Parts: sequence; structure tokens; C-alpha cells
Amino acid sequence: MIASFDAIETLLALCLTVAALACLFDRHLVRACCFFIAFAFTMTLAWWLLGAPWLAAAELLLGVVLTGLCFFYALGIFSPDASPKLMRDSLHEPWSRAVARLVLALGWFVMVGAAIRYVIAEMVYSPTEHPLLLAGIIIIACALGAFALHRHLLRRLLAFNILGSGVFMLLAGVAGTSPAAQALITVGLCIAWLGSMLAALLIRQLLHLEGVEVLGHDGEPKEQAK
Amino acid sequence: MIWRFGLFDSTFEPLVTTHWALVIALCLPLILGLLAALLPPKKAWPVALAGVPVLASGVVLLVAVAQVQLLQWQWEILGVSIALRLNALSVLLLLMTQWIGFAAALYTPGQLRLTATGPLGRWLWPLMGVLISALSLIWLATDLLTLYIALELMGLAAVGMLLLSGKAAALLAGTRYLLLALVGSLAYLLGVALILGHWGRLDLQGLAEVVELGPVAWIAAALIGAGLALKAALFPLHGWLSPVHGNAWTPVSALHAALVIKASLFMLLQLWSILLPDTFYAPRLIAWLGMLAIVWGGLLAWRTDSLKTLVASSTVAQLGYLMVVFPLLLGPDIELLARSLAWEGFWLQLMGHAFAKAAMFMAAGNLILATGESTLKGLAGSSRRLPLSLLVFGIASITLMGLPPSAGFTAKWLLLQAMVMSQQWWAVAALLIGTLLSAAYIFRVFRYSFDETAPRHHYQPLAPGMDLIALTLALIALVLGLLAHFPLELMHGGGV
Amino acid sequence: MNAAWLPLTALATSLLVTVVIFALPEEARKARTIINLLAAVAKIVLVILMVRRVAAGHEDVFSFQVVGGIDFVLRADALGVMFAGLSSLLWLCTTIYAIGYLEGSANRKRFFGFFSLCVASTLGIALSDNLFTFLIFYEMLTLSTYPLVVHSGTDKALNAGRVYLRYTLTAGVVLLLGTVLLYSLTGEHSFSSEEGLGDYLNDHRGLLTLIFALLVGGLAVKAAMVPLHGWLPRAMVAPAPVSALLHAVAVVKAGAFGILRVIYDLYGIELSVELGVTTVLAVAASITIIYGSLRAIAQTELKPRLAFSTISQVSYVILGVSLFGPFGTIGALAHLLHQGLMKVTLFFCAGNYAEELGIHRIDEMDGAGKRMPLTSIAFTVGALGMIGLPPVAGFITKWYLGIGAIQAEMYWVVVVLVASSTLNAMYFLPILHRLWFRLGPAHGKGQWPKEQRLGRLETHGWLLWPMVFTALASLGAGLLAGMPFSPLDWATRVAIGEYLP
Repeated sequence: MIASFDAIETLLALCLTVAALACLFDRHLVRACCFFIAFAFTMTLAWWLLGAPWLAAAELLLGVVLTGLCFFYALGIFSPDASPKLMRDSLHEPWSRAVARLVLALGWFVMVGAAIRYVIAEMVYSPTEHPLLLAGIIIIACALGAFALHRHLLRRLLAFNILGSGVFMLLAGVAGTSPAAQALITVGLCIAWLGSMLAALLIRQLLHLEGVEVLGHDGEPKEQAK
Repeated sequence: MIWRFGLFDSTFEPLVTTHWALVIALCLPLILGLLAALLPPKKAWPVALAGVPVLASGVVLLVAVAQVQLLQWQWEILGVSIALRLNALSVLLLLMTQWIGFAAALYTPGQLRLTATGPLGRWLWPLMGVLISALSLIWLATDLLTLYIALELMGLAAVGMLLLSGKAAALLAGTRYLLLALVGSLAYLLGVALILGHWGRLDLQGLAEVVELGPVAWIAAALIGAGLALKAALFPLHGWLSPVHGNAWTPVSALHAALVIKASLFMLLQLWSILLPDTFYAPRLIAWLGMLAIVWGGLLAWRTDSLKTLVASSTVAQLGYLMVVFPLLLGPDIELLARSLAWEGFWLQLMGHAFAKAAMFMAAGNLILATGESTLKGLAGSSRRLPLSLLVFGIASITLMGLPPSAGFTAKWLLLQAMVMSQQWWAVAALLIGTLLSAAYIFRVFRYSFDETAPRHHYQPLAPGMDLIALTLALIALVLGLLAHFPLELMHGGGV
Repeated sequence: MNAAWLPLTALATSLLVTVVIFALPEEARKARTIINLLAAVAKIVLVILMVRRVAAGHEDVFSFQVVGGIDFVLRADALGVMFAGLSSLLWLCTTIYAIGYLEGSANRKRFFGFFSLCVASTLGIALSDNLFTFLIFYEMLTLSTYPLVVHSGTDKALNAGRVYLRYTLTAGVVLLLGTVLLYSLTGEHSFSSEEGLGDYLNDHRGLLTLIFALLVGGLAVKAAMVPLHGWLPRAMVAPAPVSALLHAVAVVKAGAFGILRVIYDLYGIELSVELGVTTVLAVAASITIIYGSLRAIAQTELKPRLAFSTISQVSYVILGVSLFGPFGTIGALAHLLHQGLMKVTLFFCAGNYAEELGIHRIDEMDGAGKRMPLTSIAFTVGALGMIGLPPVAGFITKWYLGIGAIQAEMYWVVVVLVASSTLNAMYFLPILHRLWFRLGPAHGKGQWPKEQRLGRLETHGWLLWPMVFTALASLGAGLLAGMPFSPLDWATRVAIGEYLP
């Protein structure tokens, strides 16, 4: 790889990380969704740069357009009637929970980092040589932490999508853009989109039926409707 | 271990009829499902008629495998190779899938008619089709990409089916399941990424040759294991299971508990036997968790008041039986005989449980549908009014308790023998305690149902075939115990 | 020539009846009755055929492979046919009795279905040729008796059912463990194979003893040996035909029969003596005999008294086995049959008293001999047999057991026998006294608890004749003990087969 290329890659990696963090930790939901779209768009660029144009197209279609639509549907932007719109996540987590999730994310970070170290031996000597890979690991760790931490369904869904993108990034980082890897990522994108769509429908339906936007506190669903 | 999964070169080319049978087995359920979404069948007979070619394809494949032991297919699409294999094990699992799927499909029209399910009802058909096709693919696929596709299709279809009842509780439980399943699949994908990055290939047969034990194999196995364990509801990741079943429709529960969970377990065993052959700790860990699962699942089922929760929790305990066998299948220093006994016992237990659990969910569904109550107390007096449903429940529970002459018993016998041979006394104890616990929770049901003093309720009459379908499944599970020789002999043919 | 169909058909008759009864609707009373009786008769015919084949020296075998190294085998050998004969004969009697007893009550379809299944399991136990097959039918018996025990659906019955399951399922697990250990040690071991387990004695003495303890421990629960007897008195809440079947034939005898199989056909009597387990067993049996009798005396109700009497009497069989000698063996085997006949008579009588006059307690029985003479005569025959007075069948077994004990030079066993007979007399003679010599409602003094006029004779014919038949049979087994094919003759044949190979 040539040096100038590296700079762009580093820039992309930085953008990705910032967008992901903003998306994960912004309580204003509409803004978070916008950040997600920005994130997905950056992903598209990254695929393009990595020499996988088809993958970039798939990301643009599935990641940016369709998944984005799902999120805005879940927010209630498209339903002009009286059904409630989701604007802010006003739930506050206790500190103990946050710390536990932080430890989880850190443990994860260490484990995946170690695995990558074995898969790509030269990472040990110059970790910055693969900025996208590094970004992938960080994004995954953050997203996992966020997924475990948040209780708001939409934020969990966002965290899942970021997590998925991080995994794809990592996959491309360790396995290159061989046909097999591209196929795996494409399938993953489809699944993520289908899953998001289902989840968005569910969020809307739950809000409609019960006004619930979180899963029950102790893990059990609340038994209200008999 | 590898050859047991049919991961070696076959000597015979598949015949033309076999090709067609394969295509029918994989695609026809999907097509039929879509067709049924357009024209939802109101009666059982069109379903029965449509199912015949699928079942026939299974039989053709069985005959082919009985002749040549192993069939392989491979295609190259856009630089990605897709490989399938059909050995005795996968054809047996395929048959199991087709039969249980067929039974569930036959059961569905009655269920839909009696419960007035509204417009959501017709979506059940395509999802069921996708589910059965994906399951069939999982049993056959031998590369990680195809497995991934099939696993995800299966998972999403399963979530969709469980949500269909549309009640708020079902939606909440389903949302949890969906999120967990999606994260589980990402863990699996990450493991696959590591494998692809390190060894550069995805086909299982090739991987089996190049994999050497090391940190990458360990971490990949851990990731894949965690993802699949989450999907298979292995203890302690089983929390989502009973709420999901609590509100689902009966045929959906039957399919899910009988097949979907088993598919993840199958993949787990297959991939671990490639990544972690002859390791000590990983299968031991699973086995210890399995022992806890037997006890915990049994206690959960024992304490609950809801019939469906009881049946669902018993799945957790029954999976524990399978988990306890892991050290015998994957561990080091196991005699050949013990391993082969354990191998046979494992699959017999899995198949017996699949049939019995499907029958049990149907019987439980019938009881709930007829009495209109979902608690155990609501069953009072049902032995007089609903003898057939209760009888089905009883026959299915014989398999679950592992009492003779059921498949559960024969499987337990084989497993006990293997464990005694390799001196795993803890596992023996777990199996025996599991028997007693399962008897404890199952006879609670009967205790309530034999109660003659309770007031009489109004009973809704059931559709004629609903009990008979469940009865057939339960009887298959029962008879499989005495006729275990035939499937096991078929599995023997594949190797040394 | 091997007539494999014979054991299979004998088993299939009752299994088939089960299926047919479950398929028939609840209201089809006549069809059910006819099928039940036809099958019972057919089974007796089949068993008689088997007896003739065995007497002619053939042993019919039916077998197929279940999994590698484990076969399902049915074999009609002398010992098995003996038990099969008992169960099929008493099945006919009990079925007739049950048809009369359950006249007009609910859930008859369920009752007769599981009743047939229970008998099928008993027959399977009798004919099974290895422990695997034995275990299958043994557990089937457990499951099929549960609905019979809880038949009435009252709280008391349901609790009794729970206790019953606790005991028997735990026992089943213990038995399973023992069986699996044995299979891992020796591979499949047929009951009919000539060599015992003597080859393993040197290397695996401890393990053999452990397996023996597990097997016999598991079986002893069904045989109701102290301290594993707790389920039996509670199971008395079941309807009278069930109690008769449970106590006289199916369940307790299945346990005792299993112990016979383990000692004679699996371990071999020499090996058992060598391991020293027979002495332990003899002591346990003696304790059970005495304890059961003592508890029987304390009971004030008729059926519990009979139940404790059963606990005591079944252990005679175990005691006879552990005496190590031909006479003890003959006594044990003959008692298996004799006790069945006598006990079933007693339970029929108890059922008749309860149905016709509403009598449950012993102090209500005053003067019932006048009101129900045939029943009371039958009861007297059974009771005298239990005490061991000639010419009833019970005398013969006690006599042989005594001789066996003297031959084995275990004189304390004689003391146990005498003591037990005395105790038997102590709890049966007062009843007989009340029946015949006290004045009661029949003499115009007081009233029966709940009198019904069920039939033209002293009670319903369906209830009366089976009881008369079994009473005559117990008398006949004693009087005609010397005839060919009498219980004693057949027991002698089995014992000679064991001791003079």
C-alpha cells in the first residue's frame, strides 16, 4: 500500500469511529439515526476504497437506504397520525450497570485484539498500518457495550447495526476482499437489514399496543395483555 | 470425528434422480410456502397432498445414501464455492425435519381455524416453508458460508413465526429473541472471519485438514460456540426460550423446539469437532453447564404453573443431556467403542426428543385449546374429557423421561454405557437425576389431570386430525426406541 | 422347532386389547367386556400351549436386535411360563371381577386399558430373557399401574400415586444403573445361558456385589421389602380389583420374580452364596416377614391389614431363594403361585364386603358369615392358607421352607417361620371369629354401614364367581399338590432344572 492511500484510510477510520460513537451515545434519537446514515455512508466509501465496488453498492442500498428507512419508520416519522413519535431516550442507567458493561466491552476488546494479533502477525509491530481494522475492533467493542447497556429498543437496534458493520469491517480487514469474504459480508448485510426491518415493525407495534419502548427490567417481558 | 460427519471424499457421483430429489427437498418447501401464502389452505388434505413430493424426495435420498453411504455436490458461483454432502446422519436429520415439518403443516389449518387468527395467519405458511428449506440446508451444507446463510434464514423465519400470534407479550419476548439471535449470528460471523483470515478457506473438509490447535482456533471456536449456544438456548443462555414459547402458536412451538434449536446444536458440534478435536477443557465446560442445565431446567419445569412453560423448560433440561455427552464426542483419550456408543446415543436422543417434543407441544396446545386454560390447574378433570390429548402427552413424556421402550430410553442406555466405560460418573449421576426430575414435573401434569373433584368446564371440540397427528409423532418417538437398530446401522455404514 | 410366534402372540394379545379398548368409545361397554374376556381366554390358551411346549422340552424364543449388542428377547422357559400362567389365570378372574365391581362407575375405558397394559407388562416380565427386556417391561408396569392407583381421582388417591411413583421410579433408576453397569462388564447376558457370572468373580468381586445390591435394591421396592415398602399400604386406595392385581400378581410379584431371575439365572445360586449376598437377603426377608405381620396386627381396617400381610408374605419367596437348597427353592417358587391365589381371594372378599355391605373396618364384620356365606367361606380358606394350615396351599410352602431351612442348617429361619405363622394367626383368626361367631346385623343386631342388594345371590354374580374360583384353586393347589402340572409339581421341575443341570 502506498503512503498517501494510508492517510485517506486513516481519515476514513477516524470518521467511522466518530460517527459510530456519536450514533451510539446520542440520546436524541433522530440525530442518532442521522449519524447512523452518515456512518453507513462512510462504510460505503470504505468499501469503494478497498476495491469492492459491488459491496459498496450493496452497502449503499441495504445499509444506507433501506436500513435508514427502517429506522425512520421506527421513529414514527412516516406515520402522520396521532401515534407517538420517538424523540429522546430518557432512561437513565445506574452506574453499576454502566461499569459492568464497560468491563464487558473491554474484555471483548482484549479478546478480539489478541485473536487479530495471531491472525495478522505484523499487527504487533505496527498497529497503525491497518487503521480500518483497528477502527473495526474499537467500533465492535463500543457497540457491544452499548448494546448491553441501553434498554431503549431503538438504541439497541442501532447498536446492533453498528456492531454488524464493525464485524464486516473486521472481516474485510483480516480476510481481504476475496469473493468468499464479499459473499459473507453481503449476506450479513441482507440479514442485518431483514432483522432491522423486523425489529422496526416490532418497535412500532409494541408502541402502538402498549406504549412500551424497552424490554422488561429483569429480562422478563411484562405480562400485561392476557 | 470428522468422518462421522461425512467430511471426506465420496467415491460415487450422485445419480440424476438424486439431483432432482435434492432440489425438491431443498426448494419445494419454500415454493409451497409461498403458494400457500397466496392461497391459504382451509383444510388439511391439500397440505397433505402437497407434502407428498417432499416426503418422497426424502425417501429417495435415503435409498441413495443407503446404497453409497456418501454423496457430495459442489458448485462454483462467482468465485464462491458451495458444497453439500449427504451422509447417513444428514439424511436422517433431513427425514426428521420433513416429517415433523409435515406434521406441523398438517396441524396448522385446524389451529388457524379454531383460534381465529386473523390476517396474520397466512404469513405462517411462507415462514414455515423458509424454515424447513433452511433446516434441510443446514443438515447438508459443508461450507461456512452456506451454513451462515441457512442459519440466518432459519433464525429470522423462526422469529417471524413466533411473533405471529401478535399479543404484546409475544412481541416483547420475540423482540428479545430477535436481538439476541442477531447478536449471536454476529458472533458466529466474527468466528468465521477469523477462520477465513487465518486459513483462507471456508469449506469444512479442507478446514479439517489444515486446522491446527492454537489461539485462533480457540477464539474462533469460542465465538462460534457462544453465538450458536445462544441460538440453541444452551444453559445459561436459555432465558429467552420459555417466554417465546408461552404465547406462540402450537405448530410454531413444535417446530421451534423440535428442530430450530437442534440445528444450532448440530452446527456447534460439527464445527467444534473440526476446530477443537481432542481438547479437554472446552467440551468439559459444556458438559458441566449441561449438568446444571439438567437440574435447573428440571427445577424450572417443576415449579412452573403454566403448561407451556413446563414443556419449554423441559427443553432446556433435555438439551442438558446432549451437552453432557460433549466430552465423550470431542474429548481426548476416549475409547473407540465408548465414543461410537456416545455418538449413536447423542443422535438417537436428539431425534427422539425432536419427535417427542413436537408431539408434546401439540398435545399441550390441544389441551390448552380445548380447556381454554393455560395453567396446570386448568387441566383438572381433563383425563375424563380429553383422554386422547392426555394420552399423547403421556406417550411423548415417556420419551422425555427416558423410560422404556422409547427412543429416550435406548439413547440413555447407550449414553450411560459410554459414560460408564469412560468412567464419567458425574455424567451418569446427571443423567439419572435428570430422569427423576423429569418424572417429577411430568407427573405433576397428570396429577392435575386425574383430579376428579374439580368443577367441569366448557370444552371446545378439536378438529378431528389434531390429536392423531400428535399421536403419530409421539408413537414415532416411542417406536424409535425399539427399532433404533435401523437408523444406527445406517449411520454405522459411513465409517470404520 | 422354534415357535417364535408363541411368546410374541401371548404378549400381543393383551397389548392389542389395550389398543382396541383405547380406540373404543367409553360407552361401548358390551364390546369392551367381550373383547376383554375373549383376550383373557385366548391368553390362557396360549400360555397352556407354552406350558405344554416347555414340558416337552422346547423353549420358544423370539428376538430382534435393538441396537448393536443389545437384543430384545422373549423366551418361554419353565420359570417364566410359571409366572405367565399365574398372571394370565388371575387376569381372567380379575377382569371378570372388575367388570362387576366397576359397574356404572366413570372412566372404565381408561381403567380397562391400563389394566390390560399392566397385565401385558407382567407377561413381558415373565417371558423376558435378558435384563434389558426385563427392564422395558418392568418400567412399563410402573407406568401402567399409576393410572390404576389414582383411578378414583381423590386427593388421597393422587397422593398415593405420587408416593408410588417416588418409590418405583427411583427404584427404576437404580435398577437401570445396575443393569448398565452389568452390561458394561459382561456384555449381553441371557437368563438362559448356562454359565453364570462366575468368570468375573476373581477380578471384579466388589463390582459384582455392587451390581447385585443395585439390582436387588431396585427390585426390592416393588417386592415391598422393608424399608422400601412404604408405597404399598398407601396404594390401598385403589379399587379392589386393582389392589388384588397389585398385591397378588403384578407388582409385588414382579419384584420378587425379578429377584429370582437375578439370583438363579443371572448370577447363579453358587455365585450368590459365594458373594455372601444370600445371607443378607435372608436376614432382610426375615425382618420384612416379622415387621409386616406386626404392622398387620395393628391395622383396624381390612385392606391395610391385607396389605401388610402381603408385605410379609412376599418375602417368603425371597427367604426361600436365599436358603440355598432345592427345598427352599421349591418352597419359594410354589409360594409365588400359592400366595397369588390366596391373596387374590382375600382381596376379592374384601372388595365384596365393601361393595355389598359397605364394610371397611374389621370391627364392622361381626356376623357377616351369615349374610354372605360364600364370601366368608372363601375368606376363611384364604386366611387359613395364609396362616399355613393344611390342606390349603399355604401349608405346602411353609412345609417346604421349613425343610429347606433345616437342610441349610439355618435354624433361626425355622424360628422366623413359626413366629410368622403365629403372628398370621393372630391377625387372621380374630377376623374369622367375628365372621362366624359374633352376632351382627345379620342376626338383627345393629346395621351394616351401607348395604346394597347387588344380586340374587349374596352379591353380584360377576363379583362372586371369580372369588369362588380362586378359593377353590387355592384349596385345590394344596389338596392336589402331587398331581402333574400342579404349582408344586411345576416348581419342583424348575428347581430341579436349577440344581441338576
